[in-house]
Amino acid sequence: MPELFHRKIERTAIGFVLAIIAAASVGGLVEIAPLFTIHETVEEAPDMRLYTPLELAGRNIYEREGCYACHSQMIRTLRDDVERYGPYSLAVESKYDHPMLWGSKRTGPDLARIGGKYSDLWHVTHLMNPRDVVPESNMPSYRFLARTPLETADFGMQLAAMREVGVPYTDDMIANAARDALGQATPDSDFSAGVVERYGEKTQVSAFDGVATELTEMDALVAYLQVLGRLTDAAYKQTAASEKAPGSQQ
Amino acid sequence: MDHDTLVAFSKSWGLFYLIAFAIGVCVYAFWPSNRKMFDDAKKNILDRDDTPWQ
Amino acid sequence: MITELTSSERQYAAVILVVMAMVGVAMAALGRSDPFGVHGVIVLVYSVGLLFLVLSSFYAPEPRTDRQASYYDDPIKVGIALSMAWAVFGMFMGVWIAAQLAWPTLAFDAAWSTFGRLRPTHTTGVIFGFGGNALIATSFHVVQRTSRARLAGQISPWFVLLGFNLFCILAVTGYVMGVTQSKEYAEAEWYADLWLVVVWVTYFILYLRTLARRKEPHIYVANWYYMAFIVVVAILHIVNNLAVPVSIGHAKSYTIWAGVQDAMVQWWYGHNAVAFFLTSGFLGMMYYYLPKRAGRPIFSYRLSILSFWGITFFYMWAGSHHLHYTALPHWVQNLGMTFSVMLLVPSWASAGNALLTLNGAWHKVRDDATLRFMMVAAVFYGLSTFEGSFLAIRPVNSLSHYTDWTIGHVHAGALGWVAFITFGSLYTLVPALWKRDAMHSAALVEVHFWLALAGTLIYVFAMWNSGIIQGLMWRTYTEDGTLAYSFVDSLIAMYPYYIARAFGGLLFLLGALVACYNIWMTARATPLIAGSQLDLPDRRPATGTAPSPAE
Repeated sequence: MPELFHRKIERTAIGFVLAIIAAASVGGLVEIAPLFTIHETVEEAPDMRLYTPLELAGRNIYEREGCYACHSQMIRTLRDDVERYGPYSLAVESKYDHPMLWGSKRTGPDLARIGGKYSDLWHVTHLMNPRDVVPESNMPSYRFLARTPLETADFGMQLAAMREVGVPYTDDMIANAARDALGQATPDSDFSAGVVERYGEKTQVSAFDGVATELTEMDALVAYLQVLGRLTDAAYKQTAASEKAPGSQQ
Repeated sequence: MDHDTLVAFSKSWGLFYLIAFAIGVCVYAFWPSNRKMFDDAKKNILDRDDTPWQ
Repeated sequence: MITELTSSERQYAAVILVVMAMVGVAMAALGRSDPFGVHGVIVLVYSVGLLFLVLSSFYAPEPRTDRQASYYDDPIKVGIALSMAWAVFGMFMGVWIAAQLAWPTLAFDAAWSTFGRLRPTHTTGVIFGFGGNALIATSFHVVQRTSRARLAGQISPWFVLLGFNLFCILAVTGYVMGVTQSKEYAEAEWYADLWLVVVWVTYFILYLRTLARRKEPHIYVANWYYMAFIVVVAILHIVNNLAVPVSIGHAKSYTIWAGVQDAMVQWWYGHNAVAFFLTSGFLGMMYYYLPKRAGRPIFSYRLSILSFWGITFFYMWAGSHHLHYTALPHWVQNLGMTFSVMLLVPSWASAGNALLTLNGAWHKVRDDATLRFMMVAAVFYGLSTFEGSFLAIRPVNSLSHYTDWTIGHVHAGALGWVAFITFGSLYTLVPALWKRDAMHSAALVEVHFWLALAGTLIYVFAMWNSGIIQGLMWRTYTEDGTLAYSFVDSLIAMYPYYIARAFGGLLFLLGALVACYNIWMTARATPLIAGSQLDLPDRRPATGTAPSPAE
């Protein structure tokens, strides 16, 4: 019987292909399928807010420029990671991240909790030429961000696409996306109140690049960097101790 | 279907699947009558191959 | 090339290209100033360029009627040329960005030349451009020779090869314009991904139909590996790239996966891209060209079967070892670690099988740099799979992850294994394909071998050192229980290694340039073998003939 079976596989290339699929698919299914029910096991974060249109635009710039190639956004449950970068990252913190930007390499430091650690001015100076503030840095200069106006016309569509994949943006948010982007980077303007109303009290309204009259890509990227790790406080409420790195010297 | 059921199913049946698959592959590889076919296959590629067989 | 097609096939090709050109026009119209529109123009130019090529020989005389009595080698020749062109491009970008890490001002004051945008041009250029074209070209060769049958199509091999290159061009030009999904090794956006699905399905059907035509009763094991490469890459590609575009005129899309699921899907993809793109397909190369070149059958055919199913089964579980100590559930991390360690068994079975095949032919390895390429490839395959299993163990990973050790590991595999087996295979394939006695210059193959080996060793040792130093510095505490080094301290310690790494990469690039020259001269300059076998088909199943190595 087995011989007959194998002969058949042997004779028909299609049977062989099916065997490959049978062998290869199970591993992925077993590991991935249970993750669709993961919301039952992970922590909840009722206070978590959404990315504002400006922050989302900044996130898209972060992706576009390939920042993830050198900066992780995932603090591991290791003591030295936690002491260097802050409380370890929780699954819930990236639940609105399409895609996740956990990264795989730290040519530069982790950025999961960079938000609020440095001033807007520091970020702008650093992005213009990193060696002005960190002489030993090997990060590229991003001067062009400051001279590139931010395209806001399609922000409504961007938010709508995010809603398609499961992020709960409201019709109100989508309709006001471009105005909210402008308002967040232009304090004291007519639009600032709206963005705080829609995205919550903790939304940071600031002239991120120091120039309130014009909206640039620098505004968006700095707004995103400043919100990293600050969408929810869930990680600070966790009590579980972090693991000591195996073999770490102390 | 909740998370724990799925995880339990994955862990147990994943293992059985692995064992069954391994046995199947070994039976195939060591089935005595397959020996000649394998021997031919490994030698035949060294034959002349400048045109397709008709 | 086009004269080998019948006039109805030429019409068919022209129709396909006209349709593609129209798609390009539609994309340009929909995208306008968005990069999507620029890509529309690129699709248009690419299609029209090829259309001109077809039309230039459109009314040429009909080809011979007995095409079925010969193998279809034209697409393979073009595939080799494209593969080498991408190798030079991809490796040059690699050297450039490696130099940028050592000297960060080696960029223009423009967005396109920053490390973040250039890095995927390097990875895509070498993995998909160089590796992918080499896989397509050699798979077309191996499937025909081991099946003793001509490819099951006249247009489809060209469609697969040139369509795949269009995908690579869209991907790479997209990165410099800032078009990326930011998923490592799957950066190309939704429309390029959709196009690749069309190309890949064609590839799959072509391969399957050619196997169905085979005259040998048994499908030779090299084809198994190529088939697994084609099938599984399709599954991975589709699942990981499911996304919702912002609009039909936008290059930008949002993946349907979020957060922790996205991380699992991405590294399930990422690790199996290594498995089925960079391992399975190249093992297919090894199982054909190594015995061919050595003039000896593979040591154990059964072992190759066992390791095939082992690799196909185990690899799919291993992806989660990229996510140790992260927010991914603990049991998934452990499962990934376990299977990663088990993977060592089938991996070493393959490496051992290759080396034992050479046992008894060591004098050939000594004298023949081509065979030495393949021998070193098998050694590096063994080393880097061992290293991979080792790095997947959680405590080891806590040190190595996020550091240059990972980069060193990847390049031990990519340079030492993938590139070495490819060059070895190409040096075996090129003279056979162009009906030459041997490569233009054996000395240049020797030069290439030593450049490549020196480059690989310098690169890998530099990255091992920098990675381990980095990992240790990050976790070193002072006696007071505080972290001993700032991040910048660890970066300063990296600079000497970054310079060494760029130098190692440069040597490897020089080797690839030598190979280009040698292949070009072999195809162009050497006279044909007297009395080529082409017109004297040997219709007899030649079981009794003595093994004849490729030269």
